[in-house]
Amino acid sequence: MADSAVLARPFRHVGFLYRTEADYAATVAGFLHDGLAAGDPCFAAIPPARISLVRDALSADADQVEFADMTQLGLNPARIIPRVAAFAGKHAGRRVRYVGEPIWAARSAAELREATRHEALINLAFADADADILCPYDTAGLAPAVIDDAMRTHPMLLSDGGHGASPMYAVPFRIPSSCSRPLPVPPHDAMSHTYRTDLSEVRALVLKHARDAGLTDARANDLVLAVSEVAANTLRHTQSQGTLTIWQDPGELVCEIHDEGTITDPLVGRRRPAPDALGGHGLWLVYQVCDLVELRSDEIGTTIRMHMAIQPPPAGE
Amino acid sequence: MDLLTTAVATVESGGEPYTLVEVAGEADVTNCDALREVLEAEVAKQPRTMIIDLSGLRFMDSSALHVILRANRTMDRQGGVLALASPREPVAKMLRLTAADQLIPVYASVREATAG
Repeated sequence: MADSAVLARPFRHVGFLYRTEADYAATVAGFLHDGLAAGDPCFAAIPPARISLVRDALSADADQVEFADMTQLGLNPARIIPRVAAFAGKHAGRRVRYVGEPIWAARSAAELREATRHEALINLAFADADADILCPYDTAGLAPAVIDDAMRTHPMLLSDGGHGASPMYAVPFRIPSSCSRPLPVPPHDAMSHTYRTDLSEVRALVLKHARDAGLTDARANDLVLAVSEVAANTLRHTQSQGTLTIWQDPGELVCEIHDEGTITDPLVGRRRPAPDALGGHGLWLVYQVCDLVELRSDEIGTTIRMHMAIQPPPAGE
Repeated sequence: MDLLTTAVATVESGGEPYTLVEVAGEADVTNCDALREVLEAEVAKQPRTMIIDLSGLRFMDSSALHVILRANRTMDRQGGVLALASPREPVAKMLRLTAADQLIPVYASVREATAG
């Protein structure tokens, strides 16, 4: 259609601040119902208990909505954007609706930082997308600082039935400062190793610590791949050595790579590379295999911290 | 001991010759140029079929994957077929996560690759 560009509605990204399950069920089901009525493909990635709630509220319409368990898909929040992009890609040329709830009260501080970063990056990743995105936030269970960040990462807010622009939304695009501060310092007894040419030694160290910590063989190998990909970037993109630091935190093994490189693309690793692409796989793989990844980069250097739970999380997709 | 070793042979299967490249050890950014040279030299001979036996490969990173993807492109262009055989699980998982396994057929063994 010649005038489709004129008719196209802009990308919308709404933070939905809810207090009760009844409000949640009615608002999320209403959002999805409106989408289905308009013929828009609908996708909801929310925690399992919320899926039941929304399915009940949608009743017969529920089967037309694609649901995903956000506690699996969004365990590492860096995996969410490519998944939503895949849904939109499957329905190319149509406006899509997406409900995403990546933030819940039980998440760790590091997870909350990365989930908040993900929410901010939605605005970059889908700026030109024909999409309606609704992100529920449990104001009864989440800390006020988390809600404040939701107001910073969402251009629009919906609460108590009222809709409006968020006065705190950051323009131009900015990652909230709560998730870009320097990372907590590793413990003083962390293992540290510098490398310049030998990645085999880096991998052997990671494998040994992963096995000693009790990771399964498969997850130990995942971590080896992730660390090796990040360390390979040191060799590719810098003239100096890199540092590998390994330590255990309660319930998890952490590997960190620091080097003098600079990563400027905030969406790096969050777009699925084409199968025949001859680049762009490194951080994609890191995000796919690690439970959580934190990245800090400026003109002085880059730190990438990779987390693996000792006990494997429930199987993903 | 070299981190990465390769061995090349021309083998016959049912009267059809194919190129078999065995890659063993660990393939990463530090040695992917050596892998590229071996694969490019064989691809330049325009074989109808080339099978890369990965059974001895303990580790592969995305740099090595890109070398294989590049060889696959040239094989495609020449009308030939590249196949991968018997990757260990960590390598097989990496091929799945990058969707390279949707581009290049992956077989459980060299024998299956010759039949496929």
